[in-house]
Amino acid sequence: MLRMQIFVGLISLAFFLLTFEFIRKRILREEYAILWLFTSLFIAILSLWPQMVPLISKITGFYYITALLLIVTVFLIAMLMHFSIVISRIKDTNKELTQRYGLLELRVREMEQNMSG
Amino acid sequence: MKQRVAVIVPAYNEEYTIGGVVRNIKALGEGYHAIVINDNSNDQTSLIARQEGAVVIDLACNLGIGGAVQTGFRYAAANEYNACVQVDGDGQHPTDEIPYLFKTLVEEKCDLVIGSRFIVKTDYDISCMRKIGIQIISLFLRLSTGMSIKDPTSGFRAINMKAIGLFAKEYPQDFPEPESLIFAHKYRFKVKEVSIEMKNRMHGTSSITSIKAGYYMIKVLLAMFIALFKKL
Repeated sequence: MLRMQIFVGLISLAFFLLTFEFIRKRILREEYAILWLFTSLFIAILSLWPQMVPLISKITGFYYITALLLIVTVFLIAMLMHFSIVISRIKDTNKELTQRYGLLELRVREMEQNMSG
Repeated sequence: MKQRVAVIVPAYNEEYTIGGVVRNIKALGEGYHAIVINDNSNDQTSLIARQEGAVVIDLACNLGIGGAVQTGFRYAAANEYNACVQVDGDGQHPTDEIPYLFKTLVEEKCDLVIGSRFIVKTDYDISCMRKIGIQIISLFLRLSTGMSIKDPTSGFRAINMKAIGLFAKEYPQDFPEPESLIFAHKYRFKVKEVSIEMKNRMHGTSSITSIKAGYYMIKVLLAMFIALFKKL
């Protein structure tokens, strides 16, 4: 049990450090990092307090590892969906900006030509 | 009132053909303005189009055909054009038929006129695979909207002011030609298809190769299906 606790603890630590490093290097924005920081925190609690697992089982009624796996899978799928939505939104704003920038650049060019000509 | 027609030419790496296309548009006369949307090409497309006297809008990122054409619609909407005619930058569409599309648009009071390859037999050579694909898309369009369009993938089309305004706001991005016909149906546009003689591609290859054709078909049909339920 202890070995497993250390192992899970290391995972959560690595996860935490990785998230922290990504924020520091500005690869990850804080608003999305919070989600991952909480995830690593959750894993850390799990390693420090393994009795939480049977407690969760008692509360939710999930006594089998497969049921727990299902919850994790649903969580991951929900996160992927969330990111797809975020990417879609970014693509839309990117399109809008590219179009406006192109139109604005043309106007500036035409104004410059009118002024010099 | 003097008619002003924006001829929108989406172009991605078309340096060999864009000059000729722009020249042909300018040769149509005063009311026709060549608006080239350079979709972040890596070649001389923008420079050549400008040298030939086109209005060139350079896009900072590659948006694909839908985003590029929509930029043209936005330009046309902002600059009070009476109509838009969309023409490919690869020289495949016969520019001398642009006035015919525009005339049909005005005289028959249409919102959208499609220049199609299939209504009357012309000497345009088209691969068998592509023909089947187009027929499937056409069939889907007929079953879902009741529209009878023989070549829904044709990018040679004219739209009036009402359509420019609506397409400037919302236009499909990935496969705009067939999907925009679903939009047209939902907006209750009057759509007409006319026969046009097409030239073969002079340079470059079609953006759809036979290997990707199947994948393209599924994506187009899916996009069209979803477009039926899209909130406009």
